[in-house]
Order: sequence, then structure tokens, then C-alpha cells
Amino acid sequence: MAYVSMGEAHRRITEYLNRFCGAVSYQDSPMLCRLLSFSSNSPSLLSLADALNVFQDASSLIRQSDKFSEYGEILAHLFRSLQSYRVGNLVEAYLAFENFANAFVQEFRNWESAWALEALYVVCYEIRILAEKADKELTSNGKSPEKLKAAGSLLMKVFGVLADPYLVFFFLKLYGKGPKRVGALYVTCQLFKTYFKLGTVNLCRSVIRSIETARIFDYEEFPRRDKVTYMYYTGRLEVFNENFPAADTKLSYALQHCNPKRERNIRMILKYLIPVKLSLGIIPKDELLQKYNLHEYMNVVQALRKGDLRLLRHALQEHEDRFLRSGVYLVLEKLELQVYQRLMKKIYIIQKLSDPARAHQLKLEVIAKALRWLEIDMDLDEVECIMTILIYKNLVKGYLAHKSKVVVLSKQDPFPKLNGKPVGS
Amino acid sequence: MNQGGNTQTVTPLDPNNPIEKRYGVEGSQVQTSPYQYSTGSDGTTHRVDNQVNGNYYHPQPPVSATGNVQETPNTTASSSTSGTVNMAQDYSGYTPYQTPSDPQNYANTGYSNYYSGYQQQQPSQSYPQPVGAYQNTGAPYSSFQNPGSYAGTASYSGTYYNPADYQTTGGYQSTTYNSQTAGGYPSTNYSNQTPTSNQGNYTSNPYQIYTPDAANIHSSTAAITPPVHYQHNYQQWPGYYSQTEVPCAPGTEKLPATSAYSQSFPVSGVVANEIPASNGQPAPSYAQPWRQETDSTQPPSQQPAAEVSASNDAYWMHQTPNQQAYYPVPPQNHYQSPLETKPSYEIPIQGHQRATYPQELKSQSSFHQTPLTYRQPTQTTPSVDTQRVSKIQIPTNPRIASNLPSGYTKMDKGRSPAGAIQTPAYVSVSVSNPKGHTTAMPEPGTFPKSLCGFVERAFARCKDDREKASCQAALKKIITEATNDGTINTRDWDTEPLSTVLNTDVINTEPSSAPISSLQNKSPARRPKSRWEPFVESKPFVKPASNFTSGVKFGGWNHQNENNKKSSESFQKVDAVTGSKPTYSAQNSAKKSFQRPVKRQRFSGGPATTIDDDTSSDSEKDLTPYYSSATSLASSADEKKRRDTRSKRFEKVQGHSRGNDIPKPKISNVRRGTAMRLGQDFDESGSRAVEDMDWDALTVKGTCQEIEKRYLRLTSAPDPSTVRPEDVLEKALLMVQDSPKNYLYKCDQLKSIRQDLTVQRIHNHLTAKVYETHARFALEAGDLTEYNQCLSQLKILYAEGIEGCTLEFAAYSLLYITLHSNNNRELLSSMSRLSKEAKKDEAVKHALSVRAAVTSGNYVMFFRLYKTAPNMNSCLMDLYVEKMRYKAVTFMSRSCRPTIPVSYVAQVLGFAGTSSEGTGEKETDGMEECSEWLKAHGASLVADSNGDMLLDTKASSTSLFMPEPEDAVAHGDRYLDVNDFFTRT
Repeated sequence: MAYVSMGEAHRRITEYLNRFCGAVSYQDSPMLCRLLSFSSNSPSLLSLADALNVFQDASSLIRQSDKFSEYGEILAHLFRSLQSYRVGNLVEAYLAFENFANAFVQEFRNWESAWALEALYVVCYEIRILAEKADKELTSNGKSPEKLKAAGSLLMKVFGVLADPYLVFFFLKLYGKGPKRVGALYVTCQLFKTYFKLGTVNLCRSVIRSIETARIFDYEEFPRRDKVTYMYYTGRLEVFNENFPAADTKLSYALQHCNPKRERNIRMILKYLIPVKLSLGIIPKDELLQKYNLHEYMNVVQALRKGDLRLLRHALQEHEDRFLRSGVYLVLEKLELQVYQRLMKKIYIIQKLSDPARAHQLKLEVIAKALRWLEIDMDLDEVECIMTILIYKNLVKGYLAHKSKVVVLSKQDPFPKLNGKPVGS
Repeated sequence: MNQGGNTQTVTPLDPNNPIEKRYGVEGSQVQTSPYQYSTGSDGTTHRVDNQVNGNYYHPQPPVSATGNVQETPNTTASSSTSGTVNMAQDYSGYTPYQTPSDPQNYANTGYSNYYSGYQQQQPSQSYPQPVGAYQNTGAPYSSFQNPGSYAGTASYSGTYYNPADYQTTGGYQSTTYNSQTAGGYPSTNYSNQTPTSNQGNYTSNPYQIYTPDAANIHSSTAAITPPVHYQHNYQQWPGYYSQTEVPCAPGTEKLPATSAYSQSFPVSGVVANEIPASNGQPAPSYAQPWRQETDSTQPPSQQPAAEVSASNDAYWMHQTPNQQAYYPVPPQNHYQSPLETKPSYEIPIQGHQRATYPQELKSQSSFHQTPLTYRQPTQTTPSVDTQRVSKIQIPTNPRIASNLPSGYTKMDKGRSPAGAIQTPAYVSVSVSNPKGHTTAMPEPGTFPKSLCGFVERAFARCKDDREKASCQAALKKIITEATNDGTINTRDWDTEPLSTVLNTDVINTEPSSAPISSLQNKSPARRPKSRWEPFVESKPFVKPASNFTSGVKFGGWNHQNENNKKSSESFQKVDAVTGSKPTYSAQNSAKKSFQRPVKRQRFSGGPATTIDDDTSSDSEKDLTPYYSSATSLASSADEKKRRDTRSKRFEKVQGHSRGNDIPKPKISNVRRGTAMRLGQDFDESGSRAVEDMDWDALTVKGTCQEIEKRYLRLTSAPDPSTVRPEDVLEKALLMVQDSPKNYLYKCDQLKSIRQDLTVQRIHNHLTAKVYETHARFALEAGDLTEYNQCLSQLKILYAEGIEGCTLEFAAYSLLYITLHSNNNRELLSSMSRLSKEAKKDEAVKHALSVRAAVTSGNYVMFFRLYKTAPNMNSCLMDLYVEKMRYKAVTFMSRSCRPTIPVSYVAQVLGFAGTSSEGTGEKETDGMEECSEWLKAHGASLVADSNGDMLLDTKASSTSLFMPEPEDAVAHGDRYLDVNDFFTRT
């Protein structure tokens, strides 16, 4: 931290104050965004932070002028936060920033137009990032991380401001539309991120409900960026619920509308979309997996193609941690049934080659032998169990003759394809 | 000024946007504040709260507090018209509230009405423009007054004022008894004895006025009579001050007429405030404001005010005689609580002459209380420029001030003689004051009034000649210093801590003066803060001052607001008083009880106060409605009785709370002390007190040696004699483990063990063992709720690093999630939390495979695992068996054709295995059981040629159903015998 003279510090702070007040009075949203975005680590902000650390009594500077003191509360908290941020005291920085955000939101609420929406986005973003950092600091100190939770409730408050039906109605009357409410989806997405990180995704439900049921929101009105994010998260939620068709539509929407240049985002979407598609019986091309670096799915896909149960199990084991963390483990595990189906189909085809007349009768013995070749040891009872499940779930058409230990396949389409329908329907 | 600007901007917005208005209000003003803060109980209470909040809470941060007060005045003064409108609205709004509150309103709340009425009248009569200001201020005042009235009843007011009372009483004592200077107080009051007629007016008017609810009526009608009341109240105080005031008077003339009005108002408010504060130093500080007022008001030719004052004087006189007799006692009564005070007052008064008196007395008491709230303004005013002062003061109490000033002048004239005549004891006091003036300040006229007040205050504190002498010397020094460096006119003498003079007499004077001067030197913009600043700076002084009962007062106030320490000082004073007179002590105790609600911070110091601290603001909130409701009761004949009972009730409550707090005081005191030193603000100290709670000191150490103990949910603090120490608990656990008795007994015993552990805060392997044991028993009995409780505790214990059967319970929780919660996300997260070693554990591995079997629906695997389950895993699986079997049979009957032998079903679905010992004989048992089960679930069974039972899958596939659980019981727990259930309840 370079030494900053008192005068220089004073100059920098005053300059910042001037710019801030200027941005507010001219409704210069981009400028305001720049002034607020901590995480950009822009040199001007850093130098301001240094100046603040030298010039301790910035609040008196704010109070000196009516122009500044109008936003005195906002600025004072912001400065304190920046100061702590610069020194590396992230918990303090977060606390001050939370105060700042509260004051800012209050101010934003009173602004008649939504010019500062972008700035509000920045605030929402920064508070989440800061909270995450503060939590990291807390955990490293052996304290319980709770700041992200606090940030979540603050974001909820912001959402309330933006989605406030009375306020929205007010703006509708005034301007014919509600410019502020379009910001609600951005805040919602920040909330999603927070909740997913916290593992309290059930809290998403209320937000989703108000977005999807409230008449004040016209979904098409929201910016595309937010819509994509929103669909991504709600799609993930559907994956948790194992509601694959819904997850498919949401994630596909996200994929289609996602900026194609953002490969990282596409990859994130595909991470969930591929298992969903797989469980719907749709298998991706290898090129896709390669292009987006989704190697963990390679073997899974391969196993599905070949009916190689062992490969699937190995793939699951190999990437267990990753799949568990992303929450697709259970989805992939359910692919086993499809692998069994594939295996039976293979056996059926081979039998057909040798003895077309009796091909539709699959002996359990044969299946058990095939599994043994895959180094999976199963006795007949278990194989029978699997077969009943397959038939029950409509992956195999036919019936099981218990006495003769034979699966009798239907002569017509014994292995129906899923074709986008989930297993068991 | 900035603040003023803000407030103005806010007010215009109000009509447009209510929301904005609120916000603006919060930031700045007393006026609006009522709306925001309204807690909800009554209109009156609302006000009280607001004011209390505004005054007390805000003040603590020196800047904000002063800002609030000042802002209101500024707005009113500068934009009288606009401001007035708003204010008027507020006012009206308030008035209605007051009226509903009923009988007591007269006594208690009535005052507020008076105030409002008073304000309006005066403005209309003499000052058209000022009216706005008046009204504005009036609103806050009314609220203030309400608090005052409620003070007795409402916890806030009571507490708040009580402290003041304490101080005041202390001051009285010192003045009357110890030092002669204080005598001024009584003497002044009495001197203004003349008009009884005034009293008559008051009594009649107030009632009439109040009965009608309409705000307008109040204002108009009340205007006439109310002023009188006010005056009375004020006059008493003025009288107190009057002696000193006279000499000082010259200084205030500078102000313009309008400003003068405003000043006068604030002053009045100030006066009232200060009076309570006067315990230590109040008298002087108030004296200054008064003087200013008188000066300012008189020059403008505000005769109405003068008249009022005159009437007041008369009023005073009436009161004074009565009070003189009582005086030692009455003040305390007043302060303690409106409720209590009334009776005491009434008696003397009645004896004198009038029924009306009680009311007056009440009003007085209310005033006392009110003054406290307003203090801030007064203190600030002296230091601030005259203009500022005027503005600032406006908010405080325009009406009162106007009345008072005129009254003062008269009072001053008449008082000294009158006081001397009437009360000999006081006479001496009055004499002493003049002496002090002469000695300390040869030319009182040249000095600012505030300084005179300061000196007077100082002398009032002196207990004997020796002290007086030293005090005199100290004063001389201070004054000469001030004169030399030119701060004598700018210094805020009202806020100057007396401690400097009184305390160490010679020693402390210099240091004390230094901080003050520094404060004064600050830029005008900052002046508003000055009030508070002195406190902070003077802290060091304060401590020494605490030794002096009298010296600290001034600081005491500030400190109370800001710091806890001061309160202790004030208490000490009180204590001293009590020592001198037995009657006081009783009162003090009563006061304490009332004070409690107010705020802990103040009270931290005294032994009695410590208790209060613990309960803190929360208790206030809780109690407020209680108190307020009590106050709102009728003031009529029954009132006394009710009040008595009520006050007793309060005492009980207080006593109760104390009892709970018993262990804490010492600790909290120490903590407070350190906190004080650090000089942190309110909230911080409060929170710290809670966080620092020494739980170790509260932990029970059991002495009970009984091994067996029934579980009883605690409804009070645990009694050590019924709590078992750790070694006994260990035995108890062994006993339970080996006990042949049923689960209910074990559960009961284990719960009592858990309770004893919790109460003694034992967190070790024993705790884990107890919870593990209990969890296992619960699993065994299928008591999932109890199991869950234990598991959540175990998770905490394991997280603390306490060793136990971690893996076993990890397996249980895994199984529980898979089988019973059916929450994929939870399952995923608990799976991802398993470490590599954990996955190698037998039980965990088993649990994982069970999970796999369940998710894939592999019933064969499930029942195999069921048979080989380690630990208690099978117990958890037990609860899922039914579902799994049903699922399996549906699968089979759907997929298999044409039949399946029941023997196969029994084997696959674990029927044979349940009776174990797998011999052939048993298998038939399993088959029978299985066929029973199948029949129960709607399967159709056929017998083949060999007589073997077969499951007809095609028929069954559509007829299967899940039967209602047979063992369901009405009381919801099938493991609980009905008789046990009844004995339990």
C-alpha cells in the first residue's frame, strides 16, 4: 500500500464523493455501477480505499456539504466497507456493506424511475460475493459462517422492494409499465445462487411462486440474461425433484437462449441437461461431450450404448464426489435400468441370430451369465427381481414365467424406446 | 442548519408520499416520530414511546440526539407556516388519543392536553406567527407530557422519570437539608402563593376540556386553563431557579422577539426537563434557560405570558405552602411514580384547601417527568448561539416557557421574601444562594444566566460550610479562567459538570473545566452535540464525582443516557438521601421498581439497578402495555385504591424479576465498569452484557444422590438438590441399560438423565453415551421422534469432537433419510459428507447398499440386507419392510405370469427370515405368515394340485391394496399403552 499523503487522500475522497453525487443527480447508472463494484478491484476504488485508510475522518467530509450529506448514510457505510475490504477484514466489510445496501435500497425505493437498476444489481451481486468471502474468513477462524444467510435475507428484502405489488402498481399508473419489477428476476437469480450455496433450496419455492404466479410479472418482459439464469436454476430444482420432463424444458430453454459464446455457462447447463436427457432415453453425441469438456459423462454414455453395467458402475464410482456434489448421482444411478434393458436387447439380438424361433424367450440363466461376464455376480432371484422391475417399468414388454425362469418377450417391440418419456410412465 | 434543511424538505413531501414522510421522520424529527414508533398500545403510549425513543435513545449518540431535537426547532422556527400545518395535524392526532385514555388523563395525560391547549392559546393571543412553532413543539410536548402522565403507569415514563426523580430528590435533599442553597427550590415555589382562583380555573377547565375528545376543543378550551397548569408546574421549578435567575437575567435580551418566543418555549420544556435532572445540577442549568426566556419574552411585550405567569405564581403560592410542609417527602413521591405520588400529594394539598390540588400536583409530577426528556434541548441551548438557541428551544416547550418567563420575573421578586417567611428551613437556603452568588460572582448581572445557574447548582450541592468554601474557590477559579480565555459567555454552563467544582473541589476543577471548554470551542455546527460531548469527556470526572452524592448530577444525566455509570451515581445520591430520612428509603425502593422499565444502562451502577440491567429494554416493552393500561384507568374516587393495589402489584413484579437476577449483579457491574471506560454506545454495552453472561456462574452443580429419577419438565430454575452429579448419572445410565423394564420407563429415565446433563452443562463422552443409548432404545421401540431428537443432539456432540459411535449413527442417519424422509437432496448431501473411511465401515456400507436397493426397487437385495443388518440397522429397516413388500408384490403380480408360489414370495420377501432359525419348520411359519399378509393386502391366492399356495398374479395385479395399519391407535403412539397414556396425561 503506497503511502498516500493527507492532501492526496482528501482529494481522492472528495473526487469520489463528487462522482457519486454526480452519478446520482445525473442518473448515470454505469458510473454508479463502477463506483460500487468492489469485486472489480478497479484501481480507482483501491486507491480510494487507501485514501480512506489514511484519512480517517471521511464522515466529516461527507457532512461538510449538503450535496454529500444527502447521501451521508449511504456513503459512510460504503466507505467503512471499502476500508475494511482493503485491509482484508472481510467480515467487517460485509457488515458495513450490508448497512450500505440497506440504505441504498431505501434510497432506490424512493427514486421514481428505475434508472439505478443496474446499480442495484451491482449491490446485490457484491453483497453476495462479499458474504461468501466473509464466510470463508469466518470458517477459517473457526466461527460459523452466517453472512451468506444474512445476505440471503437482505436479497429477499430487495426482492420485496422490486416485487412490491403496490409499488409496481404505482409505476404502472405512472409510466404504463413497471420498470423496477424487471429487476426482480435478477435479484431472484442472486437469491437462487445464495440458496443453492447454502443448501437451503427449499427457500427458493416462495420466490418462484411469486415470480410465476404474480400477475404483475410478465415473464417475457425480463431481460434474457436473467431468464436464462432463472431457467437454469429452476431446471436444477426439477432435477432434484426428479421431474425430468420439466427439467428438460427448463434447461433446454436455458441452453437455447444462453449466449453461445459463454462456454462456461453452456457447460454448466449441460451438466444437468445431459443426465436429464439420458434418463429420458436421449443420448448425446460424443462431440458434444468433448466440446464442452464433459468427460465425466463419457463412460456413462458409453455404458448406456453398450449395455455395459460394469462400465456404468465404474463411471459412477469414479466421479462419485462430483456427481454427488452436483446432485446428479441419483439420476445417473437410475440409468442402470436402461443399461439392463440394453443388455437384454443385446442378448435378444444374439439369440435371434442363432435361433430366431425361440429368440423371444430369454432364460434368466443366460442373463445371469451375461452379467457374470461383466463381473457382476447375481443369483437367479436377483435377476428375476430385476426383470420384474424392468417389465413393471415398461422397459421390457413381456412377462416372466416364474416356474420356468424365463422372460417371455413380446413379439412386437419388446424393448420400447423411451423417446423423451421418463422411465416407468 | 443542515438538519433543519432536511426536515423542511421532508415535510413538503409528506402529502405526496407517506412513505417518504415516515423515513424522513425517523431520521430527524420528534414530530413525526410518534407515527413511526407507535408501539401499539394506546395513543398516549405511542407518544410516549416516540418521545422516549427520540429523546433517550437518540441522544446517546451525541450527534443524532441533538440533531433530532434541534431539527424540529429549526423547522418550526424557519418555516413556521408549513411546519405549523404539519405540526397541527400531528397535534390533533395526538389529542384524540389522549382523551380516550380517560380519567387519569386529567391527572396524568391531562397535562399533555393542557400543554397543547396552552400552546394554541398563547399563540393566538399574543403571537400569531409563533403559533405554528408552538403547535409544532406542542405536539412533541404533548407526547412528552403523556409520557409524564404515563410515567407513573407506563414503564417507559416511569422508569425514565424515576431516574430523574432520583436525581431530583437527591438535589432536594442536598439543597434543603444539607446545603442551604437548595432551599431556593422550596422557597420559590412558596413565594408565589397568591391566586387560589387560578387553581379553581385549572381544575374545572381541564376536566371539561378533556372530557370532550375532539382535539380542537382541547386546544381551544384547554388553552385557557391549561396554561395555568403549566405555569404552576413550571413555577415551582422556576421558583427553584428564580433566586439565581434574577441576577443572571440580563444576558438573554439579545434575542429577537420571535426567537425569544421559541426560546421561551424550549426553555420551559427545558425547565421541566431539567428539574428532574436537577438532582445533581439541574437547577442551575434550568435557571439559565428561564432567564433567557424571561428576558426575551418580556422585551417583545408578551404580556399574556406574563399574565399567565402571574397566575402561575399565584398558583404556585398555593402549592408552595403545602409543599413546603411536605417537601422533603413529596418530591420523592412525585418522582417515584405518578400513581404513588398522587396520593402523597393529595393529602397535603387537601389539607390545605382544595380538591383541585391533587390535579395540580399530578401535573407537577408529570412535568417533572417531562423535563427529563427535554433536557437535551436546554443543555444545548446555552452553548449554542442565541439564534440557535431560539430555534432549538422552540421544540422543547414553547408554552411553558412563555408562561414561565413572565412568572419568573415576578417570582424572583417575590420569592426570596416569601420563601423566607413561609418556610424558615428554606429561608436559610435562599439566603445561602445569594451569598454564593455574591461571593463567587461579584457582578452576577454580567455573567450569562447559564453560568449563574451553574454556580447555583454548585452551591446547592454543598453540604456544609467547608464544602461550600471549597466549592466557592473552585468556582472562582473556573470563572476567572473562563473570563480570561473569553469563554465565559460561550461556554455551556448548563452542561458543565458540577463534579468539577464539587467533587474534588479543588483537585478536579481544572480537569473538568478543560474538557468543557474544549467542547465549547468547537465549531457552531457541532455545538448541538456539545451536550453529549461533555459527558463523554467528563467521564473521568464523573467517577470521582460519584463519591459526591451531589456533584455528579449533570454528568449523571448525560451518562444515563449515554452510559450506565452515571446512573449509579445518581443512585448513590438517592441512597444518601435515604440514609438521612427513612421515608425516602422506602420511596427509593419504590422508585427503583418503577425505574426498572426505563433502561438498564442507567442503572447499571447501583445495586438495585443492576437487576434492572439484566431485564433491559425488553422488559420495558413487555411492561409498557401493562403499565399504560394501568394508567389509563379512572382517576376518580376509586382511583386511589386501584393505584395502591396496582403499585403493589408492580412492586411484586419487580421483586420477582430481581429474584431471578440475583446471581448476576456483581458480574454485570464489573462489566459495566469496563464498558463505561471504553465509552461505547448504548447498544454495544447492552449486547455485550448479554453476550458476556457468565453461564458458568449460573450452572447448577447437582447434589442429588438418587440414581433413579422421574423426568419432569422444568418450569423454573433447577434445584441443585434434585440434580444428580456426573458420577451418579453414570450409574443411572448403567442402571437404565441393564433394566429389564419397558421402553417407556427407560425413556423416562433417560430423559431425566439428559435433563440433568443439560442443566449442568455437561458435554462429554457421557453425554454422547446417554444420547446414543437413548437413540438405540428409541430405535428398538420404533420411537422415531425421540430418536430424531437424540440424533440431532448427537450430531452437535460429534461436531464438537466428542467421541462416540460416529459411524454407527452415520449409518442410521443415512438409513433414516433413505427410508423415511425421501428427500433426494438431503440424501445426496449426507452421502457426499461421508468420508472414505466411513464408506469402508460395515454399517455404513450396509446402509449404502440398502439405499441402492431401495432406489432401484431391488426387493431381493433389500431383504437380504435386512437379514444381515449390523447394529440396529434392521430396526430402521423394519419400518420400511411393509412398503417394500407391497412394492415387490405389485411388481411381481404385474410382471410374472401366471402364478408365483407363495413359498417363493415368503422367501424373497423375508417372511421366513423374520422368525429366523431357518429350519424347515420355521419356513412354513413364514409361508403362513406370508399368505396371511398377502391376503390382507388383497392378493388372490390359489392352491395348485399339490396343495401349495400360489399367487394368482393376474388377478392380484388389480386387487392389491395397502391396508390401513391395524395397530394404529387413537393417541397416536402404538408403543404407548393406553393406560400408560392416561397415567401420563
